[in-house]
Formats: sequence, C-alpha cells, structure tokens
Amino acid sequence: MKKVFGNKINIAVFVLPAFLLYAVFALVPIGYNVYLSFFQTDMMSPAKFVGLKNYINLFNDGTFTRALRNNIFMVMGSLIAHLPLALLFGNILFQKIKGSHFFQTVFFLPCVICGVAVGLTWSFVYNSEFGLLNKLLEIIGLGSLKQAWLANKNLALFCVIIVVMWQFVGYHMIIQIAAMKNIPGSLYEAAGLDGASKWKQFTAITFPLIKPILKVDAVLIITGSLKYYDLVAVMTGGGPNHATELMSTYMFYQGFRTLKYGYSSAIGVILLLLCICSVLLSNLVFRSEAVEY
Amino acid sequence: MKTSLKDRLLLVIKYVILAAFTLLCLYPIFWLILSSFKTNEELYTNPWGLPAVFRIANYAQAIVQGHILRYFGNSVIIALSAVVISVILSSMVSYAITRMDWKLSKLTLNIFIIGMMIPVYAMIIPLFSMFNKMGLLNSYLSVIIPQIAISFPMSIFIMTGFMGSIPRELEEAAVMDGCNIYQIFWRIITPISKSSIVTVGVVSFINVWNDLLLPQIFLTDSSKMTLPVGLTEFQGQYSTDYVTMIAAVIITIIPSVVVYILLHRNIMEGMVAGAVKG
Repeated sequence: MKKVFGNKINIAVFVLPAFLLYAVFALVPIGYNVYLSFFQTDMMSPAKFVGLKNYINLFNDGTFTRALRNNIFMVMGSLIAHLPLALLFGNILFQKIKGSHFFQTVFFLPCVICGVAVGLTWSFVYNSEFGLLNKLLEIIGLGSLKQAWLANKNLALFCVIIVVMWQFVGYHMIIQIAAMKNIPGSLYEAAGLDGASKWKQFTAITFPLIKPILKVDAVLIITGSLKYYDLVAVMTGGGPNHATELMSTYMFYQGFRTLKYGYSSAIGVILLLLCICSVLLSNLVFRSEAVEY
Repeated sequence: MKTSLKDRLLLVIKYVILAAFTLLCLYPIFWLILSSFKTNEELYTNPWGLPAVFRIANYAQAIVQGHILRYFGNSVIIALSAVVISVILSSMVSYAITRMDWKLSKLTLNIFIIGMMIPVYAMIIPLFSMFNKMGLLNSYLSVIIPQIAISFPMSIFIMTGFMGSIPRELEEAAVMDGCNIYQIFWRIITPISKSSIVTVGVVSFINVWNDLLLPQIFLTDSSKMTLPVGLTEFQGQYSTDYVTMIAAVIITIIPSVVVYILLHRNIMEGMVAGAVKG
C-alpha cells in the first residue's frame, strides 16, 4: 500500500503540473506586483526605484481617494442591501413553502449571467430616452422625476449598487439557506410545541445559529464589492466625472491607458491589503463561539 | 390544524414578495428577448409591448457587422480549454492531497486555498509584463493560463472535500488486484467523483465565460476577443444601434443560461461551497 500511495515520483506527477502553474502564474505575480509598486515604470524604459512615492502620490491623488471612498460606499451599500434582503428571502424559502425550489433557482439566475451583459441591460433600463425606469415613472404619474440616471453624479453610484443587489442577492440567499438547512428540525418542533411564534423562532433559533455563516457571507460581500469591475466599466466607465470610479477601474485606467505600471501596481497592493484586512476584521467583529446544537 | 386569518395573510404577503422579486429577476431577460426583435424606432415608441413583426435582422446585423460569431468562437475555445485543463489538473492534485502519503500535503492544500481571498488585481500587471516578455500577448494562451491558475483554489477546495469522503476500501482492493496509481485514479476515482467534477467544471466555465478583465487586458486584437470584450467594443462603435446590441447580449448570455437550466443544482452548490464549508 505504502509503495503505491507513498511513491515520490507518482506524487510529483500528480501535484507538480498544477502547483507549478499556480506558483508561476499566481503566486510569483503577487510578489512581483508588490515589488513593482516601489518603482516608476512603463515597461519600456528602465524602471526607477521610487520607494513609497507611488503610495504617497496615490493618497494625494484626488481621483484615487474618490475611488477609495466610492469603494467604501459600495461595501456599505452592498452590506445594507444584501444581508437583510437575503435573510428575508432565505427565511421565507427555508420554511416549507410551495415552489421554494423554483424561487431559489430563479433568484440565483442573475449571478450566472455575464456582468457585461447585465451592465448593458441595466443601462437600457436607466436610459434617458427609452429607458424602462423613466417610462415607468411616467406611467405612475411621477414624470417629473425622469432623468438620465447614470449621468447624474449624485445618483449614478446608487444606481450601480441597485444592479449589484439585483445580481447577487440570490447568491447570498442560497448561502444562508444552506446554513439554515444544517439547523436540526427538532429545535423548531420543540419551539412550536412551546408555542413560540415564527418571529420568536427566527430570533431565538435561526439567527443565532446561522451567525457564523453571516460572518462568512459579510466577508464575501466586502471582498466582492472591492472586486467589482465589469458592471461599472460597462455602465458608466467610472463617470460622470469619476462619480462611480472604483479602485479596480482606476487601476485599469492607470495601468493600461496611461501606462503607469508602478502606480497601478500600488493600487493592486492596496486592494490586496483591503481584502486581507476585511477577512481579519470581520473575524474580530463577528467573533462568535462555536455553536453546540 | 387551525390556520388563522393572520397566518393566511402572512402567507399571501410572502408570496407577493416572492412574486415581485421573481418578476424583477426574469422581466429584464424577457424584455431583452422581445426587444431583440424590434427596430430602433419601435424601441423608443413602444418599449414595453410586443414587436410588430418578429424580425431576425438584428441578429443578422450582430453576426455580420458585429462579428459576434467570431467572438463566440473565441469564447468557446478559451473557456473549454481552460476548464478541461483546470479540471484534470485540480482533480489530480486533490487526489494526491487527500489520498497519497506525503508530509507537505496539508501545506500544499493551504497554499492553494489562500488563493480564494486574493483579488486578481494584485497580479494582472506582472502577468501583463510576463506575457509581454514571453511574446504571449494577444494569444489565447495569455487568457487560458491565468484563468486556470485562478480557478485552482475553488476547484481544489471542492474536490478535496469530496475525495476525502470516498471509502478507502475500493482503492485497497484495487491495489490487491495489481492496479497502479494511474489506473486507480482514472478507472475508480474519477468515475466516483463525477458529480464534483461536473460542479467544478460548470462553475469554472461560467467564471471564464463571463470574465471581462483578463481578455480585455491581454487580447487587444479584435480577431481574438471574447464575447464580453466584444460587447464593450460594440458599445463603443454602435452606441446608438441599441437593438443590435441587445441581440448581441442575448447571444452572449444564452450559453450560461442554458448551462444553468441544465445543471443549476451543481452550479448553486459549487458557487456557495467555498462559503458554507469555509
């Protein structure tokens, strides 16, 4: 047995192809990215070491701080939009209700659709000339609110968050339902016999027992909203006047439009740090003891 | 059992909420399909109703003028090669991690899994520079290779979870019968793991098919572009020809929607697996 499963050559054949690919095209680039962020380079002329100057410049760059603020707004907006709504849908569908499977399948559908297609579709909804939103307002007699939604610098980011919510609420709902299914049914039976109302059951059983998953879900929402790119790239391109600029779109612009690779790598490093921090932070904030059933 | 008025009212409210969100999820797709048969004038004057005639001119236009079929072909080549290679390599690693005896298996698993929280933005500039030096920019490989590397953490996470639960007796019996490790892997393990392989495959397929960033950066030649990049090109060139763009959007989303209808159980399970077990 040992001869078959402990053979070093066999192990190497099974592991090395994937590991080398992963190391060369994922791990090494991360290290190289951190390294590049200390240089000023356009990849043609020799790179110049500038120390922390890229980072200092970033925080003095009005557009970058704008993008950072927008990203934070996006994180907050996504948390507020996703968690309660997903919890509401999840809680309804988790109880034995007719058509539960159908609704779950439909609600999840938007998140398998290409972000570019979703962005284009919603830019038709928000369109000022034939857009469905304006037509709808006209029908219900609020024609005075009609406008070019994505061109309004106060509303554009908000409009994008609505789309993000449309696309991903089903995803977070399924995560929460999966957690609810792990709760032993006997708890609800006992609570039902004791005459606890549905609301009481939710606050006393469901919510405390799925708290660990809500924590994981919150991390997913935070890291997810740091990574949004296609929706904004397609719907607004970061405009109007950087009102919807995100770190991801700004990084793309700095790297592949103005060819400031070092500067752009520094944005990449900041995004990486933010993702790591959000994982650590949420561990701290949502700290909850292991649950015993 | 008593069903009080209050309970029934509550049930009605629940269904109203569910129906409203169902409408919100499905109506945009329904609207796209209807609009893809309209003329631009109809889109302006009659955005809600049925098209006067179901004309396929927009699809023809998207294919002939918009080169949508070419983008479609590129997307198929890139997505299929990335998925096939990724599934084969990650199932091999997962097998070695869960079943073979070596000291670094746990560490290797952790190195792969840590990748789940790393944003792709932290590696695109170096990848661009590497592919530039290797002369790979503007080739399918420049998108396929990183897509495979990015898919490993999730795939390996799901497959190690599954393979760890296969009973050992099967392999022990196979060894007694004189099978070598490759025969065990191909003839016993992969057939048993079929469901998790399908899950990992479809989820990777959807991720690669939908991705905009990597092809947008690495493929600048329009003959190599994938559908999402093609759509953004479209948006720039024919910014007022909305109905053609809508036809192109429909062509783009059809494969993921069809795959989803056929395999939604696997997709839902696979996409949330990282969260639920993590």
